[in-house]
Amino acid sequence: MFEVVKYDGGVYRSAELFEAIEDVGGTVLHQLRSAQMLTVTMSIPEEDHGVLESISKEIGGDLRSVPLAGTEIAVVGCTLGRHHMPHPICDIAEVLREGGAISVVMGLARGRGKNTSQISKREIEVLDEYDAVIFMLGNFKPCVETKRFLIEDITAPVILVSGPMPDGMDDCCEAIVAGVGRKCERMKSAEERAKLAEIGSTVNKVIAERKRQLEEDPLYIHPAELKQLLETYEPIDMCLRPAPIVLHLDGLRVKIPYKEHKDYFDNLMVYGRRLSEIADITESKLQDSSTLIRIRTTSQIEDADRKKQQ
Amino acid sequence: MEVEVVGTDPYGDAAYKALFEGIIGDIGKTFMIEGAKLVLKPEVPLFIFSVVLRNVPGGKTISNVASLRQEREDLHMSISEERYAPDVLAQLWKRYGRSMVEQQTRFDLIVHGGKAEEIESIPISSGETAIKEILGAVWRALPEGIRNRETLIDDRVVTVVATEETMKPEFLEEARTMHDRMVEDARRHKDV
Repeated sequence: MFEVVKYDGGVYRSAELFEAIEDVGGTVLHQLRSAQMLTVTMSIPEEDHGVLESISKEIGGDLRSVPLAGTEIAVVGCTLGRHHMPHPICDIAEVLREGGAISVVMGLARGRGKNTSQISKREIEVLDEYDAVIFMLGNFKPCVETKRFLIEDITAPVILVSGPMPDGMDDCCEAIVAGVGRKCERMKSAEERAKLAEIGSTVNKVIAERKRQLEEDPLYIHPAELKQLLETYEPIDMCLRPAPIVLHLDGLRVKIPYKEHKDYFDNLMVYGRRLSEIADITESKLQDSSTLIRIRTTSQIEDADRKKQQ
Repeated sequence: MEVEVVGTDPYGDAAYKALFEGIIGDIGKTFMIEGAKLVLKPEVPLFIFSVVLRNVPGGKTISNVASLRQEREDLHMSISEERYAPDVLAQLWKRYGRSMVEQQTRFDLIVHGGKAEEIESIPISSGETAIKEILGAVWRALPEGIRNRETLIDDRVVTVVATEETMKPEFLEEARTMHDRMVEDARRHKDV
């Protein structure tokens, strides 16, 4: 079994780490260099954890497991205004990043107000691209309960975070974490840190459940494997955007435009099949400069094969 | 600063009290506020925030916050109210340039070529600015969707009534009653 771990340390002697990852047959999922600091998220065989750990210690870094690695999670507030956006949303996004997820913070265009808030179809489609959505609502119970419609049409798993515990919202989201409302400062007290840890563990549970569902009918190819194939394509290799390829539980987000690279994506050969046969490739709804690849499951592909033979 | 909250949602009441105190603290105006009363009715929605200031904010000049001494061509100044020090320095730099303002310590300055009669009347803070800042803080504390607001100001009481859609006459009446009571209490308190 492969496990996903994260290295936090300096750039010094990092070549030794990359060499060791390659030697044990692991894959680098994501790496981020900031000045002299380096963060590498990697997938390695479980039995080689000790080898990588000792190398990390030797070069002055730290290796820890990251249960949310390989996921992209959106943290959504009612708006991007200073009333809704600041501290709790940023703190939650930070907790997700510590867990290894790529976190994206966004606000609705017209989400404010009790009677006037709205969510558009396009916003729902954008949120559905993520592995999970953390939806942050406010301090008043009637307002939170009125805003049920904001989350009930989202297909991606939603974790509702609000101040009071709302009634009658269990059926429109995967989990509810109460006790975090609108705040005007960082969540730094002991209780608040505990609440953030609770949010982290709730997200872990939701993602673990989604992984379990995927294991029942596995994907034709693991997203990390497909990432390795895509990395050799020059426009992706040359892409200057941070994290040009982002792993999802059931696919990838590739940050080059689909329109311009349609031929490459459609005809990339994966285990003897074209990528377009084993995955749904679409332009991202968030921005047309990204491509969204959703890998089909083995049963879907077998079903398609059977239909072709008939 | 004492904050009284009257509301219908226990979680929201406590959260908004903390939020209001935090925001006023953020803008550094806690010292100006004697107390506040917040009426929170999210189910309507109707929010009334009434703030009692310690004093009616008035304009301040440099002579109100610093002592001045003329020595030949130079003016020696000693700032007595620390919170106005940045405003005093900003005004002096603007008028005389940084090279002419010599800062000996945090509060002691020499203005080369400065005249006491000129400097003592330089305004450094106006009452209007203080009220604007407090109103800004109240608007920031109110929920974001609550955009329809009316403001009442009398003596040292500032009251903001806010709702999401139509401002009904009964909302305004409730706010006016609360505002008048706060003004009366503030006057009585001052007399005692």
